[in-house]
Amino acid sequence: MQTESIWRADVQQRVFRELVEAFSRPGEVRDLTRWIDGATAQRAVLATLMDGEATLTDPHEQIAAADWPLLQARRGTPESARYIAAVGHRVPDFQPAMGSLESPEFGATLLIEVAAVGNGALSMDLDGPGVSGRRELRLDGLHPDWLARRMDWVSGFPLGVDLLLFDAKRIVALPRTTRVAITAGAV
Amino acid sequence: MNATPLTQGGNAYNFGFLDEYAKKEVRRAVLKAIAIPGYQVPYASREMPMGRGFGTGGLQLTLALIGPDEVMKVIDQGSDDSVNAVNLRQFIEMTCPGVSTTTKTTGCTLIQSRHRIPELPLTAQQIIVLQVPYPDPLVVVEPSEDKRKTMHGEADYSRLLVKLYEDIVKFDEITISHRYPTRINGHYVIDPSPIPRWDVPKLDDSAALILFGAGREKKIYAVPPHTRAEPLAFSDVPFRVEDFRDGAGQRRACARCGSVDSFLDEFVADSGSKTYQCSDSDWCDGVEASA
Repeated sequence: MQTESIWRADVQQRVFRELVEAFSRPGEVRDLTRWIDGATAQRAVLATLMDGEATLTDPHEQIAAADWPLLQARRGTPESARYIAAVGHRVPDFQPAMGSLESPEFGATLLIEVAAVGNGALSMDLDGPGVSGRRELRLDGLHPDWLARRMDWVSGFPLGVDLLLFDAKRIVALPRTTRVAITAGAV
Repeated sequence: MNATPLTQGGNAYNFGFLDEYAKKEVRRAVLKAIAIPGYQVPYASREMPMGRGFGTGGLQLTLALIGPDEVMKVIDQGSDDSVNAVNLRQFIEMTCPGVSTTTKTTGCTLIQSRHRIPELPLTAQQIIVLQVPYPDPLVVVEPSEDKRKTMHGEADYSRLLVKLYEDIVKFDEITISHRYPTRINGHYVIDPSPIPRWDVPKLDDSAALILFGAGREKKIYAVPPHTRAEPLAFSDVPFRVEDFRDGAGQRRACARCGSVDSFLDEFVADSGSKTYQCSDSDWCDGVEASA
């Protein structure tokens, strides 16, 4: 039986290094095409990060039933899970875990699928750790409420949530420390 | 298994020694550590085939990061040839087939280091992993980890500043020679591992990602690239790096390569005389070769 490449350890190592770069340099778009064959970026990232120790929730039902046993992740609720898969064009309708003062790492990682990463009408200026000066990021298909809600969620550092945005093949990270100023495209 | 290892001819170990679940645990902690600069993320540190205290935390980070196309450099106190560095390098070569190792700072993609950051500025293509014996700078003023976690969360470092102040009262100078407490992005204060003061300014606005791994204490933390790192100090008693001037005020040079802008180790000869040499052996070789 041929294993799909995203379930192979060597591919997961490559995807992890792309994630390290993405989180280290918020707003820098990383393209996973060369590592993941036909799979989507979101599935590749989930395959890389999940195992039986992780809690994952899928409020917008994006994850195929056949993937759950392979991911091995325990199902959580959007309010408690460490990882949340979501669709970007929908309005955020949950309150993710933000961690505690003593354990801010319990703040959720949001894995949000959008139409395009790196181009699109929504344009923003980023600064903060990992950004030298300023960096521009363009997105398509992210409901502006996400950024408004994020502003609340990350207002009390070290508490907060970390965002990873995807299109089919590309990823970009907005960790809780990144300051976002929308410059165009928000309605 | 949700991460099928590649079968390797003749090698019974998984690539990178650790099983894939152990790597995933480290990887999730690394991403949170980067997202919360300076915060010590707890993780399930594995037993390694070497004693705690010999770089098991750094090694677990290295093995979770490393891929077959890596160019790896391992340093111990600036030198690629000391026992600890040689052991770790051989272990990595044995368990990670395909990886190439080097002693050159230029061209390597991943560096595991004990107690030094190379003199040559690192680039955005590189990641440095530092081995940490004691990750928490507050341990000198507060024995309870629960209380330390609250102090960190509130960025309450007043007792640490009092400790520095007491130093100044007693000695007219902050006496911490290494592991100098450094504030990351205006919030968490980290123990930057036992690097000399000389290396502390390299943490600030670094081009490379800096990761810290404490295996025995089961903590991972990070200084992301282009992040503020400020050594704790007072406005009237600024932070200073080591002073390598001799009695006459002349900057000492390395006895081997003649460099006057590197961190020097002091060697005492049998006769009692002292000589000074670069701590970073690759830097020393480079300066000597270009002379």
